[in-house]
Amino acid sequence: MAERRKIDARGSFCPGPLMEMIATLKLCEVGDEIEVWSSDRGSAKDIPEWVAKVGHELVSSEEKEDYWSIVVRKAK
Amino acid sequence: MSTKTLFLVLCSGEHEKIHMAAMLASVAAVSNRKVEFFVSMNAMLAFEKDLDPQKRYQGGAFSKLMLEKKAPDSVNLLLQGKMLGDMKVYACSMALDMLGWTPDNLVEDLFDSELGLTKFLSDAEEGDLIIV
Repeated sequence: MAERRKIDARGSFCPGPLMEMIATLKLCEVGDEIEVWSSDRGSAKDIPEWVAKVGHELVSSEEKEDYWSIVVRKAK
Repeated sequence: MSTKTLFLVLCSGEHEKIHMAAMLASVAAVSNRKVEFFVSMNAMLAFEKDLDPQKRYQGGAFSKLMLEKKAPDSVNLLLQGKMLGDMKVYACSMALDMLGWTPDNLVEDLFDSELGLTKFLSDAEEGDLIIV
């Protein structure tokens, strides 16, 4: 059964949130999701760009009060 | 991998430039791009084994900011790029000779080997070369 993991990378600077997400993704099974919380504004564009480039799926990207919540599904 | 290999030469010892090179290399490596990273000149001094981060990085205003705000450490960023992507890191043979060092004097688990500039330059003909 697919799982969802959460990474609270708020306070981490670029490319910290992306690197944390990729490291976690390596440990996930196909179909699992990762929800990344990032206060780095660049992550809102960088993470979807990376996901599209390497062939995973962007589930959602939402701006909260002072951070972004980005959900990615491992596709391969 | 369909994109061209990224060849990066890091010769500056400035923290800001080391960090920019580390970001370029690590993000490229985790984005399915092969990276070859060559360290020489003053940059070599920043990769001495067991250095205190406060002494490892010499820089200006932005360096201070990065240390104060705990930006990702440049050496750790390179280690992450190596772990998560396809990145090779080489120490310039000439710079090691000048310093009287061997690869044993360098940060552990980061460098693949020492290498001459001629070989690196020859390999770089097939990719994109950036010098920092």
